[in-house]
Amino acid sequence: MLELRPILSALWRNKIAALLIAVQLALTLAIVGNSSIIVGDRLDKIARPTGIAVEDIIAVTYYPAEAGTDIVSMARADLDMLRAMPGVIDAVHSNHIPLSGSGSASDFYREPNQQIDDEVANVYHTGPEFLQTLGLKLVEGRNFTPADMETWNPNDRYHPKVTIVTKQFADIMFPEGNALGKFIYGGGDNPIEIIGIVERHLGAWTSWAKAGSVAFYPSFPKFTFGRYLIRTEPGKRDQVFKAIEERLAQLEPNRVIDMQTLSERLNKSYARENLMVKVLSAVIGMLTFIIALGIVGLTFFWINQRRKQIGVRRALGATRTNISRYFLVENCLIAGSGIAIGMAAAQIGNHFMVANYSQPALPLSVMLVCALMLLCVSLVAALVPALRAANISPATATRSV
Amino acid sequence: MLKMHNVRKSYRTDTIETHALRDFSLEVNEGEFVSVTGPSGSGKTTFLNIAGLLETPTGGQYLLDGQDVSDLNDRDRSRLRNEKIGFIFQGFNLIPDLDLFDNIDVPLRYRGFNAKERKKRIEKVLEQVGLSARARHLPAQLSGGQQQRVAIARALAGEPRFLLADEPTGNLDSLMARQVMELLEFINEWGTTIVMVTHDPDLARRAHRNIQIVDGQVADLRLQSALGEAVTA
Repeated sequence: MLELRPILSALWRNKIAALLIAVQLALTLAIVGNSSIIVGDRLDKIARPTGIAVEDIIAVTYYPAEAGTDIVSMARADLDMLRAMPGVIDAVHSNHIPLSGSGSASDFYREPNQQIDDEVANVYHTGPEFLQTLGLKLVEGRNFTPADMETWNPNDRYHPKVTIVTKQFADIMFPEGNALGKFIYGGGDNPIEIIGIVERHLGAWTSWAKAGSVAFYPSFPKFTFGRYLIRTEPGKRDQVFKAIEERLAQLEPNRVIDMQTLSERLNKSYARENLMVKVLSAVIGMLTFIIALGIVGLTFFWINQRRKQIGVRRALGATRTNISRYFLVENCLIAGSGIAIGMAAAQIGNHFMVANYSQPALPLSVMLVCALMLLCVSLVAALVPALRAANISPATATRSV
Repeated sequence: MLKMHNVRKSYRTDTIETHALRDFSLEVNEGEFVSVTGPSGSGKTTFLNIAGLLETPTGGQYLLDGQDVSDLNDRDRSRLRNEKIGFIFQGFNLIPDLDLFDNIDVPLRYRGFNAKERKKRIEKVLEQVGLSARARHLPAQLSGGQQQRVAIARALAGEPRFLLADEPTGNLDSLMARQVMELLEFINEWGTTIVMVTHDPDLARRAHRNIQIVDGQVADLRLQSALGEAVTA
């Protein structure tokens, strides 16, 4: 027995307060629904697999003090030393640090001298050890060999002969799935053979629309600085980190060394996403808390206003359960109408966000979960006052004050 | 119908214990119309609350319709209140947000009657109190006398065997008070046992029997007329 008609009748005669809470619930649902989808989108983005053994990698960038230093010879000596260090699995040179937000990209074409319909990929110059160092999985073809390696001067134009690409980029260039052994072009007629395909590498820019399209060249550009990526045994990264700093300084004291872990760089890359998740989560939490407070306050107010009425109902035969249920059903009706309005408002708001701010669409499932969550919050918020109401003595009915 | 034996009720605060009823004994027979009078603070309302199962006694025994109700749990007390007792309050105690029909419907819903049965009963009692045409009016749209008639209709709808009236004419002018009293007498003639708390000595005299409560005890028991004798208006 839900007493729907009398409850609706009573609500109709106190509609302003009920309407205010319903509108507050509707707004909360509209905001929470849209915020949830943004939070979910950002969390999905952060949780994307990078393809890289992020937790075990240290990145070193160094700048020789003297101009004209033979950076290639220095790198060979450094990398030999680093690979021999205890706790180090492998090390490789790289022109950029993956996932760091810093990198370079090139246009690629399927045909020589093609001018339009280019595809863009993030590009790394590295060596055969990059697979093991980054923990990449070669799914087709072969790794670079020492014979593939080339050194080149940044002032000259570099013409790579072979490349290893990510599967994502391979599939973009050759949707039929037969990229291995095919040639791609950098805008001229110099063919670059795809000799290997790695499963995944997110590249330099985590927020880039083409993140995951990456090409690797077997080369060593003679920049004025050098950069290494070092993979350590699991759990030994921090221990090896200190040792590397000392050993590199010992080997060549006249250089400036900057060291970071890859997980630090990745955290910085996701700083905006993390901030967005935190802010929106706080907004969701705060709005939910405020609506819960509103419901608790209104229910207590109504109960105090209706103490005599509750006493009369008890005197007329209502059990404690009848009284609690009355207020919970009343709350459900208010929450239900607020949620119904809120779902419509959320959809309208989402259409606006999708059209103007490239935000993800709000699926019905997320909307329903948010609605259910708000309904539960409103019920829990009303539960304490409702239980309190049940304790009002039936003798209240005979009291004159 | 109602039998109280050495019923006690005390209220305790941190510093003081007040004895509202002390060794209170009373018997009301089936079909009786008993008035209860006494000075303010004598324990009339406490007696009414205990008789109507609105409060539990601190001690003693209370038999309602032959059943010991002294130690019933809350749910059973609620059920008994709903099934056997009708209440008429001084301030009418109608629910202001509900129209007359829905007000009378309140105890019937708790009784678990289906909609058809409830409608039949509500229409019947509204007719009995002469307010059928006002079924969809709110209490605020009625006079005090009419509101009390609705309260009586609400009390009668469940066809209780025992009617408890707390100053039923206290908020009414003399004409309306007389009409309400006549209605109660009519109800009593049809077999409903009535216990009425009142300050009005004229009304008290119209009952079969008047009980005076002083300091939480029955002070004087006078048989005004023989049980079952017709009461003249």
